[in-house]
Amino acid sequence: MTTIEKLNKSKVPIVKIDKSLNKLRGKNLFPEKLAKANETIAKVGLPKK
Amino acid sequence: MKLSRYEYTADGHAELFMFTSVGPKGAIKKLVVYSQMLQNDIYNLGFGDYNEDNGTIDDIVITDNNDSQKILATVASTLYVFTDKHPDVWVYATGSNTARTRLYRMGITTNLEEIIVDFEVYGLQNETWHEFKKGEDYQAFLVKRKF
Repeated sequence: MTTIEKLNKSKVPIVKIDKSLNKLRGKNLFPEKLAKANETIAKVGLPKK
Repeated sequence: MKLSRYEYTADGHAELFMFTSVGPKGAIKKLVVYSQMLQNDIYNLGFGDYNEDNGTIDDIVITDNNDSQKILATVASTLYVFTDKHPDVWVYATGSNTARTRLYRMGITTNLEEIIVDFEVYGLQNETWHEFKKGEDYQAFLVKRKF
């Protein structure tokens, strides 16, 4: 299979990097949702295998 | 995903993704954010309308741009990019309200056969994680990439 065929079949798309998004890194953009998610995980943990 | 999706851009760490929803209400910028949780191997998935003026996201607004399936397919697609970069982590997701959580469930249900090829999928029910099953109601979802 050629590289182009492999890329076309891949489920992972080729994504352009946008450096302007870096300014949002480290910001808590969903404070309430994140707090609730942390609370839920603290209570129920991860799935038992 | 077989559904059509929007093209998107990402930050260099594949934790932030941006795309533009286009429909009857115009062009609306959407941001998908994977935030590391207190337990370091879990990331919270959040997304909503991005307000460039003040740098905030609104995940409660109902945009009504007639493209909810395309948006969900786009968000699902970012999971592949994110988990390629962060292969060993869990992704936690829940809607901003019950209706939106139900929309996520419908999105997973519609694409379940395809999703379970690449991801372990769990739903939270009565404070216990269960393997995701069609027709069940869940309060939250947890996924992990299979490699």
